[in-house]
Amino acid sequence: MHADLDAFYASVEQRDNPRLRGKAMAVGGGVILAASYEARARGVRTAMNSREARRLCPDLIFVDPRIDAYTEASRQVFAIFDNTTPLVEPISVDEAFLDVSGLRRITGTPTYIATQLREQVRAQVGLNISVGVARTKFLAKVASGACKPDGLLVVEPAGELNFLHPLPVRALWGVGAKTSAKLAEKGITTVGEVAGIDLQTLCSLTGKAAGHKLHALAHNRDQRQVVTGKRRSSVGSQRALGSRTRTFEELEAILLGLVDGVSRRLRDGNRVGRTVTLRFRFGDFTRDTRSHTLPDATASTAVVLDAARVLLRQRRDEIESRKLTLLGLTIGNLCSADAVQQSLPFDQRASPQLDSAIDALRDRFGTDSLGRATLLGKSTGPAVPLLPDPGVQAP
Amino acid sequence: MKFRCERADLEKVLGTAGRAVTTRGGALPVLAGIHLELAGDQLQATGTDLDLTITVTAVVGGEEDGTAVLPSKLANDIVRAVPPGKIEVTIEGDEAHISAARSEFSLRVIPADEFPRMAEPPESAVQLDGAAFRDALKQVVKAASSDDSRPILTGVLMAAEGDGLRLVSTDSYRLSVRDLPGTSVLTGDESVLVPSRSLSELSKVLDGDDALTLRLGERDAAFESGDVRVSTRLIEGDFPNYRGLIPDSQPNKLVVNRAELLEAVRRVRLLAQEATPVRMMMKSGGLELVAVTQDVGQAHEAIDATYDGEELTVAFNPEYLLDGLEVTSGDEISLETVDALKPAVLRSSDNPDFLYLLMPVRVS
Repeated sequence: MHADLDAFYASVEQRDNPRLRGKAMAVGGGVILAASYEARARGVRTAMNSREARRLCPDLIFVDPRIDAYTEASRQVFAIFDNTTPLVEPISVDEAFLDVSGLRRITGTPTYIATQLREQVRAQVGLNISVGVARTKFLAKVASGACKPDGLLVVEPAGELNFLHPLPVRALWGVGAKTSAKLAEKGITTVGEVAGIDLQTLCSLTGKAAGHKLHALAHNRDQRQVVTGKRRSSVGSQRALGSRTRTFEELEAILLGLVDGVSRRLRDGNRVGRTVTLRFRFGDFTRDTRSHTLPDATASTAVVLDAARVLLRQRRDEIESRKLTLLGLTIGNLCSADAVQQSLPFDQRASPQLDSAIDALRDRFGTDSLGRATLLGKSTGPAVPLLPDPGVQAP
Repeated sequence: MKFRCERADLEKVLGTAGRAVTTRGGALPVLAGIHLELAGDQLQATGTDLDLTITVTAVVGGEEDGTAVLPSKLANDIVRAVPPGKIEVTIEGDEAHISAARSEFSLRVIPADEFPRMAEPPESAVQLDGAAFRDALKQVVKAASSDDSRPILTGVLMAAEGDGLRLVSTDSYRLSVRDLPGTSVLTGDESVLVPSRSLSELSKVLDGDDALTLRLGERDAAFESGDVRVSTRLIEGDFPNYRGLIPDSQPNKLVVNRAELLEAVRRVRLLAQEATPVRMMMKSGGLELVAVTQDVGQAHEAIDATYDGEELTVAFNPEYLLDGLEVTSGDEISLETVDALKPAVLRSSDNPDFLYLLMPVRVS
């Protein structure tokens, strides 16, 4: 089954502030990070800029994000997931796949388990969660989306094709605006119609790899298992930059904040990573990424920062001409820090002792107790974790 | 422009100059080309990525002087593909014609006026022993970093050391130091930082025992050997202070046959997957190598060795260890250690001119 918290950030705010309940509200300043269902009904969407949102919904209430509160709520929900089944595959801070197929004799039917899970999340965390139940991950995910908000949808094995085929092609994984436009040209708008064309024709429309994937999904073939134990392969964080134009120096400071946080999370999880990826979103909503793979895995703030800075500087012209609205940092290619290649001590900045000393101070006195001089007096605003931290889950 | 020559000669000229041609689609399309200049019977071919420039001269049967820029990869592929024997190259307007035996190719040339003008090589010249220098390059280029986010470490330091020349490179995980006594290129505390990529290409194009001329300038350096000149930009910046990292003496010393250790590490490495290290367990009876990859398996091998010191296990990245063992000369090597976390020093037992310092992998 696929469990997905409804309007996660917005719901946490409504939970903690009764005055926001039932109102159109959004989390975020310049850019909407999350909108309540009341706001969504008026057309407000995630990633929309605030001016656009106000135009659609003049009485929209804006709330500053409280990342710590969301992280805590996410932790609690994942604890409930872990109590439900040992087979949990986290997808992001607010959704996960749970395999409950083997629990029929121990706990009960999937429908019962899903009902229990929804009640527990409501009672213990105070949030609504929608759950889709099906034999495959794909159908479960579609089902949870279809029953939102605060819903439960069980797709019985006999009803799978009836459920699947009327869906629009966009429901298929991997089909975005481009592919759906291409398919629409040929008069194909539903999943059932995709299932109706043969593999070769489909491949000629979408490319070979995508064609095979879509063909399989449209025929309800989805072999993917719920993968657990596979520790997360990346850790990342991103920051919406709002509508104000940032100087390049400000962007470097923001990057430093992201590096600081993400490398800290790596160290907390006893992980090291090799690939540093920067994500950009520009004023015209186009997105782009740039990555660099280091010769050796690291969790060192200084080493990650060096690589991230180079990536940022390489795109300086574009960033300045196209106006950056979101900057994200991901460290991927993670492996356990059980075996760590030691460095020659000539680069004092990259000293693991410095990193661990800072970590220890922050553990004791709070994250804000010690900061970068570069960031002094600058509000770098909230950085949003992309996934639950490694180590959050029980082993 | 028009000339004839043996296919093999042209293959060598284009192949050598082509080594400097950038493979990445850079901003300047002309850099994907090789610049040819014919004056009389002298053909000069130049490839560059602006940091590294390789120029080769050859004597050909010239018929008509001229200059042209040919697409490097395509020209190389054609010349390699045609049968051995005479080859004729003619450039007319914006087309080059290459004919050999019964094959005829014509390809569009790149406008020659877009090719960057190359600076004249620096005046001052010193002679180096080509064979010894090439040998030294092979020992140091591998330890230099390939990570462009740390530009200083992508260079090889060339510095005066006593009456000789010292080459130093490090990627911060290992450090190579090679001395060339009696080679006075620099004096006092002079030093330059040469991109390791340039030196790696240089070691590949250097011919046997040819004498080598080094011309050092403020911002660039040129190496000349036979018909080939390799020019390179120098890296600006301060190389890390490496001297303090090399211990004078260390308490534990392992002496072992180099070829035996090399072979054993290559075998054991098969089970050092997913960035797991190879452990060297050193005790007075000898040396044992162990590699364990969780859920895969393990490898173990015992090797005869003399060990003087406390019983100790140190883990290394097998690739880094192999790199060091491969470039250390002689039949017998020594590995000196302090503990499982401090740098280990690899030396040849009979040649004091090279050392390879290697940081261990910390295992928990």
